[in-house]
Amino acid sequence: MERDDKRLDLTFAALANSTRRKILARLAEGEATVNELAEPFKMSLPAISKHIKVLERAGLIIQGQKAQYRPCTIDVAPLKEVSDWTQQYRHIWEERFDKMDNYLNQLQNEEQDNE
Amino acid sequence: MSDARVSENAIVIERTFDAPVNLVWQLWTDPEHFKQWYGPTGFTIPVAEMDLQVGGKRLICMASPDGKMKMWTTGEFTEINPTSRLAYTESMSDENGNIMDMGGDYPTTTTVIVELTEEDGRTKMTMTHEGVPADSPGASGWNQAFEKLAEYAGTLQNNE
Repeated sequence: MERDDKRLDLTFAALANSTRRKILARLAEGEATVNELAEPFKMSLPAISKHIKVLERAGLIIQGQKAQYRPCTIDVAPLKEVSDWTQQYRHIWEERFDKMDNYLNQLQNEEQDNE
Repeated sequence: MSDARVSENAIVIERTFDAPVNLVWQLWTDPEHFKQWYGPTGFTIPVAEMDLQVGGKRLICMASPDGKMKMWTTGEFTEINPTSRLAYTESMSDENGNIMDMGGDYPTTTTVIVELTEEDGRTKMTMTHEGVPADSPGASGWNQAFEKLAEYAGTLQNNE
């Protein structure tokens, strides 16, 4: 459980940055080299590499090991954990919508009674 | 044909286009034309709004090939001398043009300066992007865009 929590920390920290979310979105379309990822950002190579390291540490991307051409690919497993974590709060919304349904019915009934 | 000169905190690209200066000016300042060439290979420009006057606002959206990644930039024109010199500021923003702080990776505001001169019906362009490190991959992003510009200028002239 504690290990899961640590992993979520890393994942959320990695996602808490607009540049890194954009890099992930780009990789969701297919692998890309560090240079290709940096091209639209007009950002220095060290700056983009720093973001890639953060994403890599969170397990969100995997960088190939071939010396010259080291494409990055996305790994969605940590995102599934984020999704699962969010899902545990889903019932709260469902209960609220149920209450809203009941209240709307009640209002409609009252209106009919008054007519 | 293309030459990225080294200046520490600016990308400088010189390029000559086989097109008259009036056309190259339009490709930079008419949003419908700008959409056809701006961005690296495969990227598209779903939104380009430009109020072409000094102090006039710009809002550009650049999208990755499948559209999963969208990048918005905003800014304003700072110099407009048709057809020789154009300058505008650029900042990362949201879709409403609210400037976003990129957390020190990137200066909040950079400046793009375009200088054009015509020689024998061809146009020599010098593009300077101040605030972006010369060795950044952004230079190849720009060069890819200028490849698209050259090709688009060619198709426009053939259709005439």
